[in-house]
Amino acid sequence: MKELKILYLYPDILELYGDFGNIQVLKYRLEKRNIKCIIDQYTIGDNEPHFCDYDLVFAGGGADQEQSILAKDLVNYKNNIKKAIDNGVFFLLICGAYQLFGKYYKDVNGNIIPGLEVFDYYTEAINDRKKRCIGNIVIDVTLNDTTTKVIGFENHGGQTFNISTPFGNVLYGNGNKFGDTHEGFFLNNVIGTYLHGPLLSKNPELADYIIKHCLDRKYNENIILESLDDKFENLCRDQLLNQFLTPHN
Amino acid sequence: MTNNAIGYVFKTAGYKVISNVEGNNMETGILSTLMKNCSLTGKIKADYLVFEVDESYIPVVFKDLKLDTLLILNFFRDQLDRNGEVETLILRINEFLKTYTGNLVLNSDDPNVSRLAKANPKNENIYYYSVEKYEFATKKIREAGEGKFCPFCNTKLEYEYYQYSHIGKFKCPNCGYGENKIYKLATNVDLKNRSFEIDNFTYTTNFNSIYNIYNFTAVIACVSLYNIDRNIIKRALSTFKLNNGRLEELEIKGNKTIINLAKNPTGANVSLRILNEDDDEKELLFVLNDNLADGHDVSWIWDINFDELKNVTRIITSGTRAYDIAIRIKTAGFDSNRILPYLNLNEAVDELYSTNSKKYVIANYTALQPTRKEIMSE
Repeated sequence: MKELKILYLYPDILELYGDFGNIQVLKYRLEKRNIKCIIDQYTIGDNEPHFCDYDLVFAGGGADQEQSILAKDLVNYKNNIKKAIDNGVFFLLICGAYQLFGKYYKDVNGNIIPGLEVFDYYTEAINDRKKRCIGNIVIDVTLNDTTTKVIGFENHGGQTFNISTPFGNVLYGNGNKFGDTHEGFFLNNVIGTYLHGPLLSKNPELADYIIKHCLDRKYNENIILESLDDKFENLCRDQLLNQFLTPHN
Repeated sequence: MTNNAIGYVFKTAGYKVISNVEGNNMETGILSTLMKNCSLTGKIKADYLVFEVDESYIPVVFKDLKLDTLLILNFFRDQLDRNGEVETLILRINEFLKTYTGNLVLNSDDPNVSRLAKANPKNENIYYYSVEKYEFATKKIREAGEGKFCPFCNTKLEYEYYQYSHIGKFKCPNCGYGENKIYKLATNVDLKNRSFEIDNFTYTTNFNSIYNIYNFTAVIACVSLYNIDRNIIKRALSTFKLNNGRLEELEIKGNKTIINLAKNPTGANVSLRILNEDDDEKELLFVLNDNLADGHDVSWIWDINFDELKNVTRIITSGTRAYDIAIRIKTAGFDSNRILPYLNLNEAVDELYSTNSKKYVIANYTALQPTRKEIMSE
């Protein structure tokens, strides 16, 4: 039986918008295909995880204050995280975690929270606490030369700059900054995005892309994933894409 | 509901009470409640004013109305896209409390509530309430929660147990935060018989969730500050009911139906706890809207614990986000063939009553009254 090992970072802290949903969707889609899904968790106070032993590392978003506490913990593993990324371990980073993998995050009060500096993008919060990019969002994403629409919800005050390889082109919503044309960051085996919470639940194609990418690497073969009954997902996508992308009077 | 229950106890004791029982807790709602109850010359005749107040209006309401007791129940994440992070809201209340010297009744088991006692060290009128560990308390947190770090030294809080969400017995291993002298403690919580004890005196209610036991303990703490006789409190609590779709029990086409509002994960988890603590076979209808008043973001449904639903035969979903909630429930492991999504509420309710069994209905904010109306017209 094939298996996939997931490392879930700070599940008790980075869980503001139902981020656990992504792990549940991955587990669901793996187990439906008789692939074992192993989920290990790491949080403050635990022993250092062996990042390279995993196929996928996942981290979500949290509240501002909590995020600054864990940033101090995460930088301890900077070198090992870089090594894992170089080795090809897949990283899915949502919202706060996405920001933390950049150079720094400058908060509303002007304090600089140093990031892991794995990538050279950086994030600055808008001075006005009330101004945030909030709302439904749809982006065009290219996965293995095929373009697909990814649907989600964004809620971030931080504006992310210096992105050379975005995750997608914005069709509806904001993206990395207010009124941006680009959303997120995507480079080989790393996706960082503001589409928070259960991103994968409405985007089975993206979920399967990540699963296949991880399995292909692990077993060094071209794995064909068995198709699943995505009736609810397709109905949901049709409804929302029609609502967001069709001009209404 | 806590607001209504406090007013109801005062009324049962024979006092005239003015209260915003409809839950209109913004400044205009409170003002219009007062206007409705005043004479032509603007005089208000009442023994007690009891208000549920939106946190942003606390300073203004206290200043203008000279109220003498503030009760704070809990902080749960709720419509984050509209309200922002919970911490911002707590800091706002903390700021007001720095100069407040009136009675402050606080939930000792919510780390974000009991911390507010320290806002003004000079205030000696702090009254904590708490509920003793109940039978479904857990070692690990089962549902999304807020209190993770000590608000005073940023150390991770340690919990002896969780009652529900992040409400439970906590302590900071570094600075000791969490030890409070309790004014009213509910003991011997018995959800089957809907009873609990305070100061060796038994109270019975019409509600069967731990969430409500906390609320009633808060009610008792508040009214005790006004020397209401406990026999009167007991009588009031045993007859207190809500009929607005908040844990409302109805009989529809011979099927017992329990309707509850759930506008955030905690509300939904409380409803599912009640459902799971009920051994009968049942069907569930979940109605989820994403209108402005609900918050457009429905991510919170992933913080609802749908694991191991007990004796649920079918689940019908509806509302503007019927498919989102169907996906959520399917992913939790519930057989997708037994999940029926309907965007149309009328069709959903017809489907629900096409079989005979007990029904549980959970609806979020703008979905509640339309759902209730649809059910009543069955």
